[in-house]
Amino acid sequence: MDLDALKANLNKDFLDEISADELTQLKIKYLGKKGQISELSKSIKNLPSKDRPRFGKTIGELRNLCEELITLAQEKIEINSINESLEKDRIDITLPGTFKSQGKLHPLTITTIKITDFFSSQGYLIEDGPEIESDYYNFDALNIPKDHPARDMHDTFYLENENLLRTHTSPVQIRSIEKRGAPLKIICPGKVYRSDADKTHTPMFHQIEGLVISENINFGHLKDEIMTFIDYLFGSDTKVRFRPSYFPFTEPSAEVDIMDKSTKKWLEIMGCGLVHPNVIDMAGLDSKKYSGFAFGMGIERMAKLLYELEDMRFLFNNDIKFLSQ
Amino acid sequence: MKVLYSRLLEAINSKPKIEELCEDLTLIGIEVDEIKSFQGDKIIDFDLTPNRGDCFSVKGLARDYCAFKDKKFSNPLREAFKGDCKFIKKIKLSAKEGCSTYSAVSISNLNPKKKFPEKIKKTLKAAGIQSIHPLVDIVNFVMLESGQPMHVFDLEKINGDVEVRFAKPKESIKILGEKNLKLTKDCLVIADNEEPIALAGISGSLDHSVSSKTKNFLIESAYFNPSVIKGRARRYGFQTDASQRFERGVDFSIQKEALEDAINIIQDIYQADISEIETVKNKYFPINKKIKLSLNDINKKLGTSLSASYIISILNRLEIKLIKKNKSNLTFEVPSHRFDLSIKEDLIEEVARMVGYDNLPQIKAQQVSQHFEKSNYDFINTIKIFMKNKGFNEVINYSFLDKKILENLGLEKNSISLRNPLNNSLSTLRTSLLPSLATNLEFNINRGENFLKIFEIGKTFSKENPIETLSFAALIFDDEKFKNWNSNQNYDFFYLKGILENSFEELRIDRISWKKTKNDLLHPYASADIYYKNNLIGSLGSIHPKFLKKIDLKKPFHYFEVKIDLLPRNDLAKLKTPSIYPTSQRDFSFEVDKNISFEQIDDCIRESSKAFLLSSKIFDIYAGKNIPKGKKSIAFRVLWGSSKKTLSEDEINDEVKHIISGMQNKLNAILR
Repeated sequence: MDLDALKANLNKDFLDEISADELTQLKIKYLGKKGQISELSKSIKNLPSKDRPRFGKTIGELRNLCEELITLAQEKIEINSINESLEKDRIDITLPGTFKSQGKLHPLTITTIKITDFFSSQGYLIEDGPEIESDYYNFDALNIPKDHPARDMHDTFYLENENLLRTHTSPVQIRSIEKRGAPLKIICPGKVYRSDADKTHTPMFHQIEGLVISENINFGHLKDEIMTFIDYLFGSDTKVRFRPSYFPFTEPSAEVDIMDKSTKKWLEIMGCGLVHPNVIDMAGLDSKKYSGFAFGMGIERMAKLLYELEDMRFLFNNDIKFLSQ
Repeated sequence: MKVLYSRLLEAINSKPKIEELCEDLTLIGIEVDEIKSFQGDKIIDFDLTPNRGDCFSVKGLARDYCAFKDKKFSNPLREAFKGDCKFIKKIKLSAKEGCSTYSAVSISNLNPKKKFPEKIKKTLKAAGIQSIHPLVDIVNFVMLESGQPMHVFDLEKINGDVEVRFAKPKESIKILGEKNLKLTKDCLVIADNEEPIALAGISGSLDHSVSSKTKNFLIESAYFNPSVIKGRARRYGFQTDASQRFERGVDFSIQKEALEDAINIIQDIYQADISEIETVKNKYFPINKKIKLSLNDINKKLGTSLSASYIISILNRLEIKLIKKNKSNLTFEVPSHRFDLSIKEDLIEEVARMVGYDNLPQIKAQQVSQHFEKSNYDFINTIKIFMKNKGFNEVINYSFLDKKILENLGLEKNSISLRNPLNNSLSTLRTSLLPSLATNLEFNINRGENFLKIFEIGKTFSKENPIETLSFAALIFDDEKFKNWNSNQNYDFFYLKGILENSFEELRIDRISWKKTKNDLLHPYASADIYYKNNLIGSLGSIHPKFLKKIDLKKPFHYFEVKIDLLPRNDLAKLKTPSIYPTSQRDFSFEVDKNISFEQIDDCIRESSKAFLLSSKIFDIYAGKNIPKGKKSIAFRVLWGSSKKTLSEDEINDEVKHIISGMQNKLNAILR
């Protein structure tokens, strides 16, 4: 057979798309035992020996070409088969995911975590304490003796026995000093109770109390800590003011206000002060050696500011439409 | 305390705008609650802190304001009053420190010369004080101005002399407002020869009070020590304008001048016969307190470097006078109106107040070195975040609820009641989180929800130890006919059990076991009690149908409650290196009696194949077609391996034989 004609046939046979079956047939046709290229190879011995090398080389080239065409056809067949199977897997990717249900933490928990995250990073230990307290820890040890007019500031829930529901998280200060001594740097979030209820007050609410006891603590340290905290929680452009106030367990005492960015009104956000020497002494430390500062804030108030929440009652009626936002 | 803007302006003798005035007062610790318009004037409502009794008057507010603004504050000059006649009653002070000075005057033949001044009426009305009798109105007006409460008696009803003493056993007094109070021996009274005529510094007796018919009057202006007034009125459930002032401390130097001020006004309005002022003092009359401190004390506490002369001058503005000065110490005398100043720190606060808190420096504190440990708070938050990620919403409920709800569920045992609840629905501390969660469910069902996954972590309370228990509870309710398009999740016992098992895994807690429940609240055959190291820590299951109606629910729900303070706070576990040798697994399917539990089979497998066993997992459970009645088919995949070698075929076959024979012998199981 004419070598050129064979080459032309070969190219022609592989020109169109080839199925897997057709490819098998073509392999036999050209490279099979009795295939055209194989037959030509056999015919080489009939040629004069001087023509043999050139003829042999041409047949080798033809064989290479054929093998190359077969590989290309093979790859094409494989790709086609993958594409076909992909088509079967086609899905509607706009359908919702299977595990769609994601719960939410309560806004008060999120607010608490936001606040404790800051204080943890500043080296505060997170403490807790009982919600049922004695008169001693809730009042006396905090320099609020019986009949002190400051007890009017705390509308206390009393229990059947002589105990009460703590009106603030401050008793944890005393318990921590008693347990850990000094120096001490703690933050204590928790539930507190007061017997009043209106639009802005609920009989149960949450506070966070901070206490630092060490040597040579001064008012400047307190201011710095609070300013850094406000910077973190409300942004560095927040206007802050400290003004004198009164808490029996701190002296000097202060309230901290921030300026509401939209209404331009001062909002009270926390109370603080240098720990009263009586409190330090009563907790078993020497107020001549140790001094400290304390601060406390209502978590509901913080949540109200951070979430721009209007009605506090939603925080406790546990409406899932509210909580799952 | 409500004060008229115009009265304050008069007292400070200048005319700042109301906003500026209030701003300045706020900056020295006198908080303004509200400003309201009133009869062409303004009422400023002050939220006074209990330490500042001295600010409980127009004069007191003005004095503090002027000190801050460094303006001169002066008392108006008074002419000494000389009476028309002698004061006829004897006054006896028998309560030592309780009452150390008492001034009184008697008045008769009262005839109006002119109309009662509008200014007084308006001032009283603004302060919220009812007009009772012209003389009472006048002394109340003087009280609002000066801070000295006074009392007007009907002189004719006083039997004999006047004595200030403590109440005698079994004495009682009927006060204004018709309340009959049983007195205790620590109650200070004003008494005549027969009985108490006033609860000193708090309220007069009704029987000795003045009316439009009264002809002869006695006006009392006394100093009662805060220690004998404190808490007394509150004990009987009320407060008066007088008691609020006396318990915080009334200036002990102004009794006579206040009386003179009242007399001046009376004389201006009335023609009257007024006696001379009788003033009695005893040896317990207080002396001004002295406080010694050093310059360093002040600067060290405030982080400042103020000079001694500056401090002396600003304290002087507050009438806190330097009386002694040496190299190391300054000694100051506290004026008679400042009951709140007794220790160094109190004076340091006064310095800070006058300097202005905002002008004090801000200083970085040194690190405090202390021991750190994992807190309860972190433990709780780990659970909260885990539950959130499992699709549960966190709820927070009040710790108190209606006792009836507890009774309905049989949970009232050992419950603690509040002595003074806000109302019955908040009367008792919860003994379990279940009632709260069930209430949340009902609330949300009523608002159209038919699917709910909620949890709460909070304290429950009991009369018996432990009084407080930290509990973790979750509730799941699924009444949705509409299912997720791609899953058939059943929100049942096993779903909730899986949640709890996963949470224990998250907390690295093992040794948890599950037993048939003894909890009456739960479905007896589809609920479990949960044990940690043989201690009951909680239960899980569906609510017993008999309770549903009692909590206003129609459909059952699943819930669990676990006492988490009984759980260990486990630290990181050691990480094991996986074996480099391959593992082998076999699947088994047994036919067993249907009453044999998973736990029995699982235990049997673990006991039968002790060598090389890595895990045994149930993957199918079936009863019905092809399985005889009373039997079930249960299928396991068992995995073996060794850290030392590849297991041989013979070794595995031995284990398979152990399991099959173990199951046959112990549980009568047939390999299928």
